[in-house]
Amino acid sequence: MKNRRILIAAAGIFLVSACLSVWILRRSEKQTVEIVQDGKVLDTFDLRRTADREIRVPAADGGYNLITIANGTVCISEADCPDQTCVKMGTLKSDYLPIVCLPHRLIVRFAEDTP
Amino acid sequence: MSIRRLTELALLSSAALIMFVIELRIPNPFPIPGVKLGLANIVTVYAVFRYRPSETAMIVTVRLLLGAMFSGNPSALLYSAAGAVCCLLGMLLLRKFLPEQQIWLCSVAGAMLHNIGQITAAVIIMRGFGVIAYLPLLLVTGSLAGLFTGLCAQFLLNRLNR
Repeated sequence: MKNRRILIAAAGIFLVSACLSVWILRRSEKQTVEIVQDGKVLDTFDLRRTADREIRVPAADGGYNLITIANGTVCISEADCPDQTCVKMGTLKSDYLPIVCLPHRLIVRFAEDTP
Repeated sequence: MSIRRLTELALLSSAALIMFVIELRIPNPFPIPGVKLGLANIVTVYAVFRYRPSETAMIVTVRLLLGAMFSGNPSALLYSAAGAVCCLLGMLLLRKFLPEQQIWLCSVAGAMLHNIGQITAAVIIMRGFGVIAYLPLLLVTGSLAGLFTGLCAQFLLNRLNR
């Protein structure tokens, strides 16, 4: 009987996560983006009002990430970490799913718009 | 520990490492940090059911440390170690309730615990709860990957039992 309970629990967690995932992957309406490293906000900018540019963020281990703002989108275009996940994630789209570079403890995410 | 036992553990560790290295070569269709197939988990699940807890822990430790070296990504070690510890403890506990015919279920639960451990480590290291949003995505992909590796281990056990 116990294994049936484990099965039901696993199926429940799976279904709840699947629903949450759909919700999390919605596109954001926000335009303010902030760059956070080690829990500290390094930079905040408005995508509508920012000219296309590149920001180089150095990391504690000597590495770096290159953040590119172009045509109202933001992405990490270059990083010198081995896994390159942050580069492959592409542009920032969702409110809840920030671009994360785990090796460099860097987060690029949407923030509340300031009027 | 007998030489025979030691050799078996070494063989299992190297099998896990080989699967780990092969997996590194497979391009990941989900560009989300932490999403992996986790083929090496086939060995862990198998060991949970066939070896003593301490012996399974040895296999996992060896795989983690050498895996971090081989992948050239030592900073990922903290996340994978946190995940592996949660996964292993959970599976050793579930081992008591689940028969050998339900190894796959143990693997699914283990994968979910692995994801929870990973995210906990990420929250602590990144000093922010922003990464928690990844948890549902990781749980969905993780349980599917856990189902796959669990079924692999299930078929392996069924063959070995014959």
